[in-house]
Amino acid sequence: MGKIRLIIAIIVGKLMICLTKLTGSQGTVFPGRIALIICPEILKILGENISEEIIVITGTNGKTTTSNMVAQILKEHDYSLVHNAAGANMITGITTAFIDKTNLIGTKIFHYALLETDEANIPLLLKELTPKVVVITNFFSDQLDRFGQLDNIINLVKDALRNTKIELVLNADDPLVTHFQSDTGLHCWYFGFKETDYDKKESFHNNKVGKYCVFCQSELVFDKYHYAQLGKFYCPNCGNRNPEPNFVAHSLVMNPTISFWVNDIYIESPYQGFYNAYNILAAVSIAKLVGLKDEFITNAIKIYQPQAGRMESFNIAAKKVILILVKNPIGLNQAMAALEQESQSKNILFILNDNAGDSRDVSWIWETDLEMLATNQLNINNFICAGTCSGDIAVRLKYSGFPAGNIVLVKNLAEGIEELITRDSEVCYVFTTYSALFSSRKMLIKYQDKYKADISALKVKDFMGMGE
Amino acid sequence: MATFKIGFLYPEHMDLYGDDGNLIIIKKRLEWLGHSVLITKINLGQNYDLKEYDFLFMGTGTSYNQARVTKELEPQKDTLFALMEEGVPMLFMATAFQLLGQSYVIDRGKSVTGLGIFNFYVENGLHRLTGNTLISAILNGQEVSIVGFANHMARIYSEDENLLPFGLVVKGQGNNNDKLEGIRYKNFIGSNLHGPLLAKNPILADYFIDVMFKRKNINRDVILDDAIELFAHQQARTRLI
Ligand SMILES: [Zn+2]
Repeated sequence: MGKIRLIIAIIVGKLMICLTKLTGSQGTVFPGRIALIICPEILKILGENISEEIIVITGTNGKTTTSNMVAQILKEHDYSLVHNAAGANMITGITTAFIDKTNLIGTKIFHYALLETDEANIPLLLKELTPKVVVITNFFSDQLDRFGQLDNIINLVKDALRNTKIELVLNADDPLVTHFQSDTGLHCWYFGFKETDYDKKESFHNNKVGKYCVFCQSELVFDKYHYAQLGKFYCPNCGNRNPEPNFVAHSLVMNPTISFWVNDIYIESPYQGFYNAYNILAAVSIAKLVGLKDEFITNAIKIYQPQAGRMESFNIAAKKVILILVKNPIGLNQAMAALEQESQSKNILFILNDNAGDSRDVSWIWETDLEMLATNQLNINNFICAGTCSGDIAVRLKYSGFPAGNIVLVKNLAEGIEELITRDSEVCYVFTTYSALFSSRKMLIKYQDKYKADISALKVKDFMGMGE
Repeated sequence: MATFKIGFLYPEHMDLYGDDGNLIIIKKRLEWLGHSVLITKINLGQNYDLKEYDFLFMGTGTSYNQARVTKELEPQKDTLFALMEEGVPMLFMATAFQLLGQSYVIDRGKSVTGLGIFNFYVENGLHRLTGNTLISAILNGQEVSIVGFANHMARIYSEDENLLPFGLVVKGQGNNNDKLEGIRYKNFIGSNLHGPLLAKNPILADYFIDVMFKRKNINRDVILDDAIELFAHQQARTRLI
């Protein structure tokens, strides 16, 4: 009976995946949800088809980029793998990924499963699957409204990991992550940065969560910050400090693309920004632990291009438009930091939503360092505000000191993109929260094609002597 | 031109969810009205005189920090209440105002004694009350709409005849099931609508500012352009009704 239920669940799941693909929607959650109702053990059963290792990647920021890079390295090696889609990182989305890959009777074998997993879903996931490795990228305040406060989430993850045989791969520079060793007793591997030319003596203004020692609540002393609360720290009261990393990143250059060394491997990437340097470091550490060859690792990272919303670039009416996903204060601060490297004048379209997949509480925009806009050192001409909470971001910008006259409220995405490219500027950016990422990307491609068509039409007219 | 002194209570421990946005807003508005503002951050273990300030503010914190702050404020509670009696404007967000009652709850459901300034108590409910919320409040004798975001486990039960609610819930979440939101005593307002409450409610920001002006005998002669703020208010309100 169980076998029949499994097969029905797989067939129904696969049909629904086809349907969502046909309708062009990003629905990666629903097929898994229905399949789990039909056959609650489906994930457990399909998880047994992984011949090598199940790797789980969790943490607040960088899950998607890190796991995509590891996937790229595994593909270079010709390994087969199950890998869940960006953002579909709850149990349901992970189940969908397994159903999509397996055969109709659920017996197909894969080398690896690479699972980007939402922090709050770790306890559920570990009930179904037994990963060899769990990677924790970092912990920042994110979507507090959805899961309760950050310390609750951290405790939830810790409780779930205790009494398992899992090996942890941890960020040695994050005081909210390093204590997992002593609190779980598990074997841990660490990755971290040596000092870099980009370190700061001060953290950003709202560094609250990572400021205190998790063991004794005393204020930590930071010698330097890489970004946010990631840095070299120690507790003057109890001696808590960074562990020695196994994977040491050094000689970082951001020019603006990233290069650095991990132990004795030289890494180059088309990515930008310190947060991406951490993602690359995490991916390289995982790949080394799994035993992958250096040349495959360096090659995969070198050719791996930024994906949707990770600084993807478009060309509309001869203007460069860069799409950036911003979903929490650290992400927005990092996006602003990236703008500092760009001297050209800018227009920014900010799409702030509070839908499913976004933070329901948009107060996070007040936990950012937008006050830097007051002096306009970033050379921004206009902010165009769209989305369900366009008013919230417009108010935030006004109180940051950005001139109210250059804040434009628009009714929808299309109007937003029109304003973005027609108002005077040399380069354009689109900042968007998760729920508008794919719709805005689609719209940008549409505009890109439309202007391309217009230009070729114009050229034809010119050629035939019909141009103005 | 006057200088306004604002006391920001325990920013290191009580300021989650961008609560300090409220002070950015008060400060900017006072500056746009032609005055200067001095915000003093008051931290644990620091000496200070609450009587020096024209406006007092405290944001939300974890239950661990809530307990530390309660202990710190214990010797100051009579002064704090005297200032409320005198009409000093104050805004305390969520866990900050919840520690002013008889008791509140810290981690895993343990009840602890509050400052006892007011006769209400706080229990933890079974689930989180969360979501966009619209309330109606009375400010300067006018009924006004206030929008914000609620997110708390707390259930607040008042038995204090002198204590008013901050407002009546039109849509969304209140103190418990009684459709009341927050607490109000003269010009003291405590609200569960945490984060930058004043951002979409310029009328509430101006209420505090008008009280400050009155206490300094200043006439308000400049009208601010609130088109963006009112758009944001209306946008949030429209989605709720
Ligand atoms: Zn310590």
